[in-house]
Amino acid sequence: MQPEVDRLKRRLEEIVGKPHVSDGPAVAGFAVDGVSPALLVHPASQEEVSSVVTACGEAGAAIIPWGGGTAMGLGNRPARADVAVVLDRLNRIVEFDAANLNVSVEAGMRLADLEVELGKQRQFLPIDPPAEGKATVGGILAANGSGPCRLLYGTARDWVLGMRVVLPNGQRIRCGGKVIKNVSGYDMNKLFIGSLGTLGIISEATFKLLPLPAVRASVAGVFAELGQAAGAVAKVLDSVLLPEAMELLGLDAVTLLGPTLGLDATGYGLVVSFAGSRETVERQVRDFTGLFRDAKARVTTAVSDERTAPAWKTVRNVFDLLPGPPPERITCKIGVLISRTADLLAAAESLGRRHRLRGAVTAHAGSGVVRACYLLGPEAPPVEVLASGLEELRREAEKAEGSLVLQGAPVALKAHLDAWGKPGGAFDVMRRLKADFDPRGLCNPGRFLGGI
Amino acid sequence: MIASALVRELRQIVGKENVLDSSVDLQLYKYDAYLEERRPDAVVFAHSTEEVAGVVKACNKFGVPFVPRGGGTNLSGGTIPFKGGVVIEMIRMNQILEVDRANLRARVQPGMFNLEFGNALAPLGYQYLPDPASQKAATLGGNVAENSGGPHCFKYGVTTNHVLGLTVVLPDGQVAKIGGKAPDVPGYDLTGVFVGSEGTFGICTEIVARIMHLPDGVKTLLAIYDSIEEGSETVSAIVAAGMVPATLEMMDQLVIQAVEESIHCGFPLDCATVLIIEVDGLKDDLEQQAKAITDLCRAHGAREVRVAKDDAERAALWAGRRGAFGAVARITPSYLVCDGTVPRTALPKVLRKVAEVGKKYNLQIPNVFHAGDGNLHPLILFDWRDAEQKARVMKAGMEILELCVQMGGTISGEHGVGLEKIDAMRLVHGEAEIRSQLRVKKAFDPRNLANPGKMFPIPEEVRHAA
Repeated sequence: MQPEVDRLKRRLEEIVGKPHVSDGPAVAGFAVDGVSPALLVHPASQEEVSSVVTACGEAGAAIIPWGGGTAMGLGNRPARADVAVVLDRLNRIVEFDAANLNVSVEAGMRLADLEVELGKQRQFLPIDPPAEGKATVGGILAANGSGPCRLLYGTARDWVLGMRVVLPNGQRIRCGGKVIKNVSGYDMNKLFIGSLGTLGIISEATFKLLPLPAVRASVAGVFAELGQAAGAVAKVLDSVLLPEAMELLGLDAVTLLGPTLGLDATGYGLVVSFAGSRETVERQVRDFTGLFRDAKARVTTAVSDERTAPAWKTVRNVFDLLPGPPPERITCKIGVLISRTADLLAAAESLGRRHRLRGAVTAHAGSGVVRACYLLGPEAPPVEVLASGLEELRREAEKAEGSLVLQGAPVALKAHLDAWGKPGGAFDVMRRLKADFDPRGLCNPGRFLGGI
Repeated sequence: MIASALVRELRQIVGKENVLDSSVDLQLYKYDAYLEERRPDAVVFAHSTEEVAGVVKACNKFGVPFVPRGGGTNLSGGTIPFKGGVVIEMIRMNQILEVDRANLRARVQPGMFNLEFGNALAPLGYQYLPDPASQKAATLGGNVAENSGGPHCFKYGVTTNHVLGLTVVLPDGQVAKIGGKAPDVPGYDLTGVFVGSEGTFGICTEIVARIMHLPDGVKTLLAIYDSIEEGSETVSAIVAAGMVPATLEMMDQLVIQAVEESIHCGFPLDCATVLIIEVDGLKDDLEQQAKAITDLCRAHGAREVRVAKDDAERAALWAGRRGAFGAVARITPSYLVCDGTVPRTALPKVLRKVAEVGKKYNLQIPNVFHAGDGNLHPLILFDWRDAEQKARVMKAGMEILELCVQMGGTISGEHGVGLEKIDAMRLVHGEAEIRSQLRVKKAFDPRNLANPGKMFPIPEEVRHAA
């Protein structure tokens, strides 16, 4: 094996330059579920990504595209990994066309850095996944990352106008374009968003943007019963109100976030954000304060414009407030019917309670997304037990027409529980897509749905 | 001609009365709103997913192509059975199966008209946002196939942003549910790819649509200009001011005159353009937004700005816009609708160039455009009985698309590629792009039976080999 690795290394060095290829100890931080690549390569242009992928293909080397590394726990354990293609040098804005509300950006740019640049023209990209300081544009698209504000704005698929992708055979393609409406051929953007690098490497993306709102504000409250908070959510959804985000907080999450949100009480939490003109934001703060009162909130606080952005940063990264290094935790995302969100939040909490696991559960209420994190201390039950507990939670999600996806878990647990669950409709089509685009199975093999 | 054995089988599946194969009947299904014609070999009316699956399986057995059809309003020839075969008419699958308010979703059959769906939701306080101008006669299934837009897409996006799941009959007759009511279904986003696939990936038989609450308030304004430039500059100014109106629609003088003649909605006949602006959302700042927009219109040369006082006035303005194509149809034997899209700020320039194209080919080209999203619809007027004129029209149309691409835009914003823009695909896609799209086609439809002969030029390699 080693001579082949050395040959590939030399080839990659020819493409990107010697300093941008590494092996040995440097690769240690790039293991995915314990599968370590032999080489790291850092291409700096579209052409270089293409040449790197071609060279890896010629060598029969399996590649793992790498952005900020924030979603590397997502999915199953890789079947193989030979080369991590790290996109950190592809981190420039290609074109910011503020007059037409769009930006084209290289895939390795961090979301937070992009937002800073957009903010200079009073615009923003309304996608708010966790770890925005590390997560890259390309990684967010590949993993279909999202956050609380998907309630008002939707997800990546609603904001991508175009992309550049390097296919597994090294060919470069462009999908979509720069315009809002585009039906010139198939909507290829959708194929790559959420495909976890299994069909190629997203190397550039063009996004539609929004003007920054004049004002933001939030209202947070704590309720004795989950049902009271859920009732308030249901009322909002059946109203004309247009909150940007509504995050439902489990008991532990309220304790963790209490200081940030100024909530000095125990119970279930609901924090809601508004964006827009002063008039509409003030009206919503008023309406929601009333709504919280009617739902018998124990405490309600308003969060001012200046405090709203930092508070939400903490809310979406709430699991970072839990102690312990990442490998010793399970994180999962449950997507269900909007009306069943609170039920699944309760089910996820009860799983933790049953096994005496510390952790936190929150939900993007109104979007049907529950996020759970469990810490695995020395007291934690064996992985088989945890796996069957999660399997049960997955069945609950499936009863609510949804799914449970592992976003991070110990390797031993993944051996007992498929990260995605059973493939649903038209899986044959998905398999054929993979076979047609990546016949030799070299792009992120094994991590995706159904062994793709 | 298809085998009579296939026709017999089709009759067994859907009943004798639901299969048409007489020459007169077939004549009626050989065209849509584009300019080409091709007769199908049979037309089948489907009433259920099972029937569609049965018909598609039968087509597979005989290796015969099939083409789904809704309202037949397609402007690019998407519904024309180019390679013959069976047209599967979906218009009778037109029921709302469920309005699930608690989950902000509806399940609806593809044969329902877009407007009918909206009308059913409105009394419940809800709306489905994609609103193509043809919504009276265009079906939701057709909207899915074409990824239809409409005036509201500047703020709310197009069909793909509002369709979250589908039941589809794949080209081999298998029934599959893709996407769904819940978010982020694991696996590739097949729903996202299926929307806009123009019937080439199979047939959708059920749609899971996002529904949204009707807005708290709406304000509709009409700004009247003596020059098109001023109108489009206003649009850019509104966006630059950080506002996101629901719609920004414009039409030029020829269209205005045609509209007034047919609908009488109060547009002045002597102006160069009108701009219809609608803002919606929470009531609290709409008055202020309307005021700010009025000021911007005036600052950019509007000679008059009217704010619709009530629903009736608002409806009149929209009747004018939605009736534009129909009104133009009254003044010409036929027209070719172009559907190019450019970055919004390029609109004034592209409009000037379109006028030059009109002069060059000696053709009249009135214009309707979605100014907010840069999608323009020059309507090239001609007489279809005159072959020489038609040839000129096709050349002019192609030239307009080339202009759009040169300015950073594309060849179709919402009408699709169909037959019309197969050649234009090479203006925006290279060989690798076309090949990768054909790979997706192959994954869905390995036998190439679903609406064959559409969208894609033959890859270079194959062409040279042939």
